[in-house]
Amino acid sequence: MSTVLELPSYKDQTPDVAARFARLQERPVALEVKGLTKRFETPRGIVTALDDVSFSVHKRELMCVIGPSGCGKSTLVRILAGLETPSSGEVMVYGEPVSGPGPDRGMVFQGYTLFPWMSVKQNVMFGPRMAGKSDYIAEKEAREWIDLVGLSKFENAYPHQLSGGMKQRVAIARALANQPRVLFMDEPFGALDAQTRCKMQSYLLEIWKNVDITIVFITHDLDESIFLSDRILVLDANPGRVREVVEVPVPRPRSESQIFDPTFVATRKHIDHMMHPPGQEQKETPVMRLAVSDPDVV
Amino acid sequence: MARPGIFKDWFVIRKDLPQARRATLTVVSFVLPLLLWCVVSYVPWVWHPDVKIELSAEREGVTTVFTAGDRVSKAYFPEFQKEVRDENAAVIAAREAGNPETGARRMNQKLLRQLAPLAMAQGWIGQEDGQNDAALYPVWRDLATGAKTAVKPHLSEENLAIVRQNWERLGALSPEFVFKQLPEDPLLKLIPQGAPSNPVYLPAPHEVIEAGLRDFTAQASTGEQTMGDRYVASLKIILWGFFWACLIGIPLGILCGVFDFFSKLCEPFVDFFRYMPAPTFSTLLVAVLLAGDAPKVALVFVGTVFQMVLVVSKTTRLLDPALLEAAQTLGAKPKQMITQVVIPGIMPNLYNDLRILLGWAWTWLVIAELIGVKSGLTEFIETQGRFRNFERVFPVIILIGVTGFVTDQFLSWLHGLMFPWAGRSGALSRGIARVFTWPFRAIAASRGKALAEHAERMAAVRNQTQTP
Repeated sequence: MSTVLELPSYKDQTPDVAARFARLQERPVALEVKGLTKRFETPRGIVTALDDVSFSVHKRELMCVIGPSGCGKSTLVRILAGLETPSSGEVMVYGEPVSGPGPDRGMVFQGYTLFPWMSVKQNVMFGPRMAGKSDYIAEKEAREWIDLVGLSKFENAYPHQLSGGMKQRVAIARALANQPRVLFMDEPFGALDAQTRCKMQSYLLEIWKNVDITIVFITHDLDESIFLSDRILVLDANPGRVREVVEVPVPRPRSESQIFDPTFVATRKHIDHMMHPPGQEQKETPVMRLAVSDPDVV
Repeated sequence: MARPGIFKDWFVIRKDLPQARRATLTVVSFVLPLLLWCVVSYVPWVWHPDVKIELSAEREGVTTVFTAGDRVSKAYFPEFQKEVRDENAAVIAAREAGNPETGARRMNQKLLRQLAPLAMAQGWIGQEDGQNDAALYPVWRDLATGAKTAVKPHLSEENLAIVRQNWERLGALSPEFVFKQLPEDPLLKLIPQGAPSNPVYLPAPHEVIEAGLRDFTAQASTGEQTMGDRYVASLKIILWGFFWACLIGIPLGILCGVFDFFSKLCEPFVDFFRYMPAPTFSTLLVAVLLAGDAPKVALVFVGTVFQMVLVVSKTTRLLDPALLEAAQTLGAKPKQMITQVVIPGIMPNLYNDLRILLGWAWTWLVIAELIGVKSGLTEFIETQGRFRNFERVFPVIILIGVTGFVTDQFLSWLHGLMFPWAGRSGALSRGIARVFTWPFRAIAASRGKALAEHAERMAAVRNQTQTP
């Protein structure tokens, strides 16, 4: 007994949303990726992790990259950050080609990567200090960023004294303190529990609203990607290719209750089908036979 | 809630015991070996395979001479006594037959000296009076007349009778020692006496403590060193050796850990070199650096530095590479990455490595002190060991052990104090850190309070001015 929902197409956009996307298209391109290919040499031969990936992100856009495991999401973001070099292709930030890591592109890692010997404040001061700012200025700026992520009370705490969510907020503040033009986030909430993750997503949207920043967000969580992003880049696995760039029709400002919005569900269903085509469902796994059958357990 | 019984829950798989029990076990881990040592030393039937001779005797035609303090096996001792008794019986038999040997004056003089160790132990004669016949002669008299009684070690009844018998003859001839007045015929020998004892290599705890106190407090005779001097000399060698090793080893290790260039340039050779035992270079080092402390310091250096390079480079490589990537994305340049990320990041592990390597250095020290001109604590151990004075050797070995252990515990405790962020500091070290930082915190707090008060006063003034 199931009711089939009358879902709109994920492509149906309300006039407001459509107008917003039109305006977004007119903004300058913050990040442009052209023909990015990455091959790894392994003992078993050459593995193509990314194959001719091209896309662009506009200023102050929040784009999520999603795909099955092994689609090269992490490789992609590491190339964008300059931590790895592509086999071919080009990455440009506001028209300038990228070579190597730099403070113009911030990065938030899944594993927090806070410097454990530094207090929260010193961690956030790291970027400004590397840029040659005086300790006084760096400290003043750091305080503002820590305030923004709501951790003023903990500015002298060390990372090991913080919870996972707090650590990730510090990591975000640290990346933002450099005032990067693009912020890459590599599954930043992947290690958090479901509740904290939910809260952190709202936090991120709040920060994104208040700070002039373009965000590229890697995730494998479908709901997270729809909840956060303007557009979703769906990658195919083996080799990693762009499957589709989905414009999320869910209106902003976003709230948690929108998960039940028909536009949300339609988008979710579409991307889910893309990633797990119905025909290719895994065969049923053999189930262990139980000695006692329980009518309440089915 | 019922308290668990005292015998319950001592053995739970992979679970820490409560604090009190852990402390108890820590104490027991030291008490247990000590107790074992005491039991073996003081309980007579446990081991005691030897007899420590208190009174010895020379035998006719036997060249092996045992002196007081020597140890003979338990099985041989009665045989030794029997031989002496047989000799005495022969003397008495000859005497009764009326044809005693003559010309035994020289022998008798030596025989009188048998009592010397006993008299020394009682403090009746000085340590240097072992051959002072004039002093020994009255001892025979006093023992025979009962004016003196030997207590520790005491004189057996059998020997007391022999003393009386001998004195009967001696006293009749002369009241004091005159060689010409000694009897011509042989006197009776004292029967060897001894106490059960452990082998020479296992002195009893009290002997070790007494010898240790004596050696550690002894004043140096000219040209000799006190134990304190030796200790300082040893510490100097180990610390200088370790210092030079750190000076070369740490930077090289970090470079090897950071740059593949240095790793491939140095590590294969270092890896090969460390398999050549450092002591094999001792003669070379002495030839190059001549006598004195230099070759010793160099040996500790050679023994430590190669290990250090490898250990430090490994520790450097263990630093989470994600931290370096994070630093790069934050705009750190290579030099800054080393000074701001690598070095502070590896500090706690590096510190622990050095602690362990310092332990190694102690091993090299012992060998280092034996090369060239022997020196320091090891020279003492070596010399006394040759004389089989093991009760004097053990205190020094224990001193080295205690030094190493205490240093290590102290450094380990300091680790928690210096690297609170490594999250390993215990309650005690945190408490001490609080005590040390109290003045600063107090000043900061009072300043904060003063500022708050000032702000309050200003607010009050504003309020007053605004009210009318």
